[in-house]
Amino acid sequence: MIAAYLIFAFVISTLLFFNKNRLLNYLLAGAFLIAQWCFTIYEYTHKNAVEFYGFFRPDALAVLLLITLSIIAIPAYYHSYVYIKKDEKNAGHRGIYFSAMTILIAAIAAAYLSNHIAVTWIFVELTTLSASALIYHRRNANSLEGTWKYIFVCSISITFVFIGILFLSIALQQAGHNNLSFPALLQHAKSLNIFWLRLAFIFIFTGYTAKLGLVPMYTAGIDAKDKAPSPAGALLSSVLMNVGFVGIFRFYEVIAATSIHHWANHIIIIAALLSVFIATVYMLKVKNIKRMLAYSSIEHTGIVMLGLAAGGIGYYAAILHIILHAFTKSSMFFQIGQVYRVFKSKSIYDVGNYFKYNPTGAIVMLLAFICSTAMPPSGLFVSEFMIFRSLFEAHYLFVLIMLLFLLTIIIWAFGKNVFKLLYTPAVGFNDKNVPKINPYESLSQFILLGLVIYLGINPPAEFVALIKEAIQNLPQ
Amino acid sequence: MISFVVIILASLFFSGIIVRTKSIASGRKGPGIFQPMKDIFRLLKKGSVYSETSSFVFQIAPSIYFASVLMAIMVIPFGKSEGIISFDGDFIFFAYILALGKFFSIISAMDTGSSFEGMGASREALYSLLVEPAFFILMGSFALFTGHTSFHDIFISLHFGSYVAYALGCLATFVLIMIAMIENSRMPIDDPKTHLELTMIHEVMILDNSGFDLGLILHASNLKFAMYGALIANFFIDTLPFYLTIPIFFAVQLIFAVAVGVFESFSARFRMNHNAQFIFALTSIALLIFFGVLMVIGKFI
Amino acid sequence: MINVFLITFAMTLIYLSIANRMLSYIRIIAFQGLLLFGVSFMELGEMNTVNLIFILLETIVFKAIAIPLLLNYIIKRNKITREVEPFLPNFISLIIVTFIIIITFLFSNIIVDPNLNKIYFVVALSALFTGLYIIITRKKIITHVMGFLIIENGVFILSLAVGNEMPMLVNTGILLDLFVSVLVLGIFVNKIGDVLKDADVEKLQNLKD
Repeated sequence: MIAAYLIFAFVISTLLFFNKNRLLNYLLAGAFLIAQWCFTIYEYTHKNAVEFYGFFRPDALAVLLLITLSIIAIPAYYHSYVYIKKDEKNAGHRGIYFSAMTILIAAIAAAYLSNHIAVTWIFVELTTLSASALIYHRRNANSLEGTWKYIFVCSISITFVFIGILFLSIALQQAGHNNLSFPALLQHAKSLNIFWLRLAFIFIFTGYTAKLGLVPMYTAGIDAKDKAPSPAGALLSSVLMNVGFVGIFRFYEVIAATSIHHWANHIIIIAALLSVFIATVYMLKVKNIKRMLAYSSIEHTGIVMLGLAAGGIGYYAAILHIILHAFTKSSMFFQIGQVYRVFKSKSIYDVGNYFKYNPTGAIVMLLAFICSTAMPPSGLFVSEFMIFRSLFEAHYLFVLIMLLFLLTIIIWAFGKNVFKLLYTPAVGFNDKNVPKINPYESLSQFILLGLVIYLGINPPAEFVALIKEAIQNLPQ
Repeated sequence: MISFVVIILASLFFSGIIVRTKSIASGRKGPGIFQPMKDIFRLLKKGSVYSETSSFVFQIAPSIYFASVLMAIMVIPFGKSEGIISFDGDFIFFAYILALGKFFSIISAMDTGSSFEGMGASREALYSLLVEPAFFILMGSFALFTGHTSFHDIFISLHFGSYVAYALGCLATFVLIMIAMIENSRMPIDDPKTHLELTMIHEVMILDNSGFDLGLILHASNLKFAMYGALIANFFIDTLPFYLTIPIFFAVQLIFAVAVGVFESFSARFRMNHNAQFIFALTSIALLIFFGVLMVIGKFI
Repeated sequence: MINVFLITFAMTLIYLSIANRMLSYIRIIAFQGLLLFGVSFMELGEMNTVNLIFILLETIVFKAIAIPLLLNYIIKRNKITREVEPFLPNFISLIIVTFIIIITFLFSNIIVDPNLNKIYFVVALSALFTGLYIIITRKKIITHVMGFLIIENGVFILSLAVGNEMPMLVNTGILLDLFVSVLVLGIFVNKIGDVLKDADVEKLQNLKD
């Protein structure tokens, strides 16, 4: 099925690339979405069945993230159409945009499902290449700069991952194996040489932080999310970050079974806490709303990784958090597209009094702000609370206090900017020809945010079971 | 003993071949092979003129310089037969006897009180300083590789190893050629044909020498070339019988001289400020050979 | 013989640190491709035709011919000046690269693994860090791509040292990805040349907070 899916995605994307007709474009994208959902349902019903020479296996984590991806993909295509219709000059550019988006989604899906560490690598590299086409969509000097930085940093980091994989295979060879698939790694984890495993972990972790958005390699992602069109930015800051998470998580499972589990936790905690710290510093300073959202994503991944490192209930919370964050952040990015259409600017100085111009959108923004800062009705409140608890239970008191302190500052900075956007009129803003935004365009955001609240407050039993299954390989 | 004789022989035609190669490369017929030697003999027959401001140092320095090169040549073995002087650690003696000669040539240049010569002396001192680690690391790695510390033992036991010895010899040859070029102030570092004192290194140091002294200094340079050629030849001549080694030796010298000539014809000299990094690069390369040897023989610190 | 190839490879790294011209950089990269072919040819010993073609493609065709030609084309097309323009003097670069090699060598001493040939490890890591160093200290964007290529060469050596038999499918995927990434990098250098007229990293400092 996965082979058929990938081939289909490739064919669709090729057709999109060459097609100049708008209607055909709609049809092709619709066909891909249908295929995406068929594929998702197929994988959900064939959970844990290996496919394609054992290179792919839809385990619980993969299925969860795949469903997240498929849910976000629909509004992503929809908002892309809204975005592109506004200033459509070049049918070729539109073709490249949708073609790249199709490839990106297919590559992300394949990276989730991959059962072999090198196959994950291949598809993560593919996401870099396709995402760069999206970032470059506007074709001006700034987007060029963002694209260049993104490709370059991601290429270097993906090379780091490859080096990590090579070190890992040295460790495997010493133990007398040569199978790099994840189940085999888990099975032999105890017999692997600690020295090589440490090197492998450092390199793989550093490499995937470019996608995940943690210190040290987070920088590229910020520029990319800023410069990409907002629907593409939504994908970059939600499902694409999850790719990095999957890459690290699957290797972390292996590490967790060995004696360096504790050491790896410390590495993760240092990186995560630094990420939250950097996010705090920049949230206070940043004047560009999109960049602010990108830094908020860094803060959230920092929290997720802290949950992973703390263990216990933290594992469950980390998975929950990464899924709910994907919904929240993508809806915020979709909304920013409308804000940009109203104000023609992303600077916090040029926007304001959003309630007056687009009340529906303003409600979305407010709701998304509440969700993103993990205030009570939000599902993120539940997961963040569980992560705090796990930190407390794991006796990382200092880390917890630091985290709470930094989060307070972040909420203040985030709130200050969002409330400026919503209520305070912008100085010198001419509201003569503000475009009317169709309220139905905000429907998808309401649904996504509704999901965040619903899944957090009252998670269905099936959902909980899937998350529990996803973390079953970790020591409880 | 035999090495001493053949090196002296090689030195007689060495610079002649370089000059000839260069003239052929530039499309001229050029002087005969022995023309440089004839020039030197002409100089040797003349008396020297000494400046009133210079002291006895200036007068004895050329002789000491020449003698130091001769002493250094005596250390070099030839195939199976050792040099006239041979003892454990003689490559250190080799390096420092050369350094002694260089020291005298530097202080004699200072002695003249000419600002040009002082400048040349300071450059010469800097470059010898930089090139010294390269030589020692190179010889040290061979000492480590073979487990011996004299030239003779090193070269004798080098070839009991496999192809590795020859391969390392090739790499060492590269470094040694470069050292020879630097020591003689030849092309990539300094252009012997230059007419501008400001850009000279070695030539500017001997501006005040004349007659016999100048002849000694010029021939010392030939001897040095032949000496490094002999060192290089030693990497390849193995412990074969003499009727094979002597032709190989002269062939190596010939190739070396032609290579120098070709290299000087087709390359430009570096800017003065690039010289230091080039020479230091030799040290780095010698260091690589050292590490390579450590890896190959599996010895670790 | 492999050792000699690898030592020569390390020498090219040292030469890289003092090279002044873009052309020397391209030549070094092409030469490294040839060296890598030599190493892999020796290392793999008797191999089947498929493997040989694969290695040939990756080293000779791709690393030694295609990439240097691409780089040359980019430099010509964008009229990039011939000097490399480092931020630091070459002499310091030389010392730092030497130190990188010494440190990786010392680091390799703590490995206790009879199966691994340490000389590969040292050369590969040196190439990795030298590449990173070149990326950090050179002004031109095209030199960043070259630094990336040197890192890739280091990774190639490391993968030879590991000699892990990854499935052919995976190998092909990796090769394809690398090829495309280098191509995309090249294309973007061209674009940057078109948009900014002068391909210096200093021109790429608009995006910041």
